[in-house]
Amino acid sequence: MLTSSTNIIEVKNLTKNYERKIALSSLSFSIKKGELVAIIGPSGAGKTTLLNTFATIIKPDDGFLTIAGTPSEKLTNRKALAKKIGLIRQQFDLVGQLPVIHNVLAGRLADWGLFKSLLSLIFPQEKQAAQKALERVGLADKIKDQTAKLSGGEQQRVALARLLLQKPEIILADEPVASLDPARAEDILSMLTKLVKEENQTLITSLHSVDYARKYFTRIMAIKDGQIFFDLPVDEVSDELLSDLYLLKERSDNAES
Amino acid sequence: MLNLKHTFLLQRKNILTIFLAAAFIWSLFAVTWSEDLVHSGGLATIKQVLVALIHPNLSQEIIQLAIESTWITLAYAVCGMTLAIVIAFFLGIFASGILHEHKGSKLISKGIFRGILGFLRAIHELVWALIFVAIFGLSPLSAILALGIPYGGILGRIFADMLNDVPKEPIQALRSSGASKLQCLLYGYFPLVRANIISYTMYRFECAIRSSAIMSFVGLGGLGFQIQLSLNDLKYDEVWTFLFFLIGIVVLVDSCSVHIRKGMHEAKKGFTFVTFFSLLTIVLMVLSWGFIFIFEQASLKDLLSEKNAYYAQKFFAGLFGIGGVEQPAFLSSESWKEALKLTYETLRMSVMAIGFSTIAMFLTVIPAARNIADGSLTLIRKWYYWLLFGFVRMLYIFSRAIPELVWAMIIVFILKPGILPGAIALALHNFGILGKLCAEVIEDLDERPVRNLASSGASKSQILLYAVLPAVMPQFLMYILYRWEVIMRTTIVVGFVGAGGLGQQFKMSLSFFHYTDVTLLLLCYCILVFIADFISEAARKAAK
Repeated sequence: MLTSSTNIIEVKNLTKNYERKIALSSLSFSIKKGELVAIIGPSGAGKTTLLNTFATIIKPDDGFLTIAGTPSEKLTNRKALAKKIGLIRQQFDLVGQLPVIHNVLAGRLADWGLFKSLLSLIFPQEKQAAQKALERVGLADKIKDQTAKLSGGEQQRVALARLLLQKPEIILADEPVASLDPARAEDILSMLTKLVKEENQTLITSLHSVDYARKYFTRIMAIKDGQIFFDLPVDEVSDELLSDLYLLKERSDNAES
Repeated sequence: MLNLKHTFLLQRKNILTIFLAAAFIWSLFAVTWSEDLVHSGGLATIKQVLVALIHPNLSQEIIQLAIESTWITLAYAVCGMTLAIVIAFFLGIFASGILHEHKGSKLISKGIFRGILGFLRAIHELVWALIFVAIFGLSPLSAILALGIPYGGILGRIFADMLNDVPKEPIQALRSSGASKLQCLLYGYFPLVRANIISYTMYRFECAIRSSAIMSFVGLGGLGFQIQLSLNDLKYDEVWTFLFFLIGIVVLVDSCSVHIRKGMHEAKKGFTFVTFFSLLTIVLMVLSWGFIFIFEQASLKDLLSEKNAYYAQKFFAGLFGIGGVEQPAFLSSESWKEALKLTYETLRMSVMAIGFSTIAMFLTVIPAARNIADGSLTLIRKWYYWLLFGFVRMLYIFSRAIPELVWAMIIVFILKPGILPGAIALALHNFGILGKLCAEVIEDLDERPVRNLASSGASKSQILLYAVLPAVMPQFLMYILYRWEVIMRTTIVVGFVGAGGLGQQFKMSLSFFHYTDVTLLLLCYCILVFIADFISEAARKAAK
């Protein structure tokens, strides 16, 4: 087992069960700082469960999880956790009724007290930081718009701008482009990976599309039935392996029915 | 056995309908139907009232009085609502339990604060008013407290429900970016529920205006007071003038809230109706509170004076039968028997009332739906549809804008005291509300199945039976049950003017200072309200 300090996430025998179904079956691996990891696999394989475990939303039934050197069960302070882990999901992440700027500034809530948060709703605080983040995601002109009126791709970019203010060490993205059309999906993914590299962060993303995984990420982890099917640098992932991943799924489906 | 259960589940809506119809028929037996129900001059009075409707008194003097009274009614409604919003805001947040991390403390907070809100709204505003007047005397603040407390209870409960129903994802995202519980309130919960809570508050404000009008019963000026005076003098033409003003502001508030709802969905930039409305609200609040404290000479200091403390103590001691000579009524089985009889009577009155308004609603609701009037639903167009639509909708506005109590005040001139006038007064007011709600259900109907039937040659009545009725019935049942719950709370109020039931006795006991009787009747009333809530909730679940 690697124990070098460059490992930002370490997982040992991680297990999670739902009722009778095994969601994660004794997983062990580690992720280095700066890696761009795509988690792929058929629906229901356990991708979201794994990400939610990293986010400490789900408590594992068994095994160890270390995030940036700290055991996950000790990460109970939300403000401190927000500095380590940032989340982005396929949609509904934002409060649609608020103007864009407040959704972006929500990334600063971990550092703000209650009074400053209240004041900011009337007189936006740290406006320049928000402005700069929105410029980086190409939405500088939408700063005062109502968030719900933005398109899906634009909303996802607002979520990225929020993460820019939050500055977590690790970004967990759960199907970040599932509800977008191909052009917009590529746009978001290239922006996300670019920003992560610029900020020297670590990115872990669950994805449906193998093509996107190959194009934008450095490492692909395939999960099936709660187990690691393969875990390889992106240039070692062969077409056979990929077709096996999805082909096998159909066979097991047939066996079940 | 399984088959029977299956049939039961399948038919539960029909079973419920049959059960409700049977309950209505049972309620009708509470009245001995004979000519004796009507006052000897009753028919002549009806004629006079109707003639006055066409010829309201529009003399300058009366109009000026009406404008002044309208302002008083409005100002008290605004002050009451301000208080209600403050109560609802704090209690609502606690009652939603969103500030609590752990399941246990969440449940406890929810339970306690929902209980408090339930108690606040279970008691009708006029009953609160009578209690506050007994404690504080005829202070303007008594009326404001009486308005603010039950409305705070209603708003708070809805506020809590809305907070509980917000989508989880944005909140979770905020949590994960490090926001504390209170920051989540500011950046997540509040913006998410804002639009809904404002439109619901507007709807309640409309109700508060009616409630403010009937505060005349505890000596508050305003439209209700003038109506009462004119009624006592049998000047029906003046009564209608004041009623038209009341209808006027209710319609105004109603159209305002429609605009607000539209405005908030569009979310335009710059000076919009929403901005205008926000400014208007602030101005109204300042003016109203200013009016109460400067012109009506309300004073917080007087409210908490030693004299009031003495009265309050005496009043509560009276309620609990402390220091009294006689045995408290709530310990005497004889009084209980009497009170339970009245409770039973009141229950039947409420069922009769909702039955009457349901029948009237069913007779009028079809032409009242916009999509039937313009023929878009049934693809049948007739020139008189719009005429009918306008007429029925006007009828609805007219009926719901006038509070039950005012209806009751008019009806006791025609019918002899008893539960029938009470039931009719309640029915008249709720007919308009039920009609409006149900017409909106038809308007929201999925058009495709209906059109399909229409294009396959079904007649209008066939369309109604096969496509419209099955689709709208569950919603209709929900609204009927919900209104029945509201009627239950209001039964006590129509009793005040001699329309029978618990209310009549309540008012009498209070006038004769029989405070322990008052306690007993309040107990029965609360039991009734809670039973009604329970039955209606259970029935609504069955109707789903």
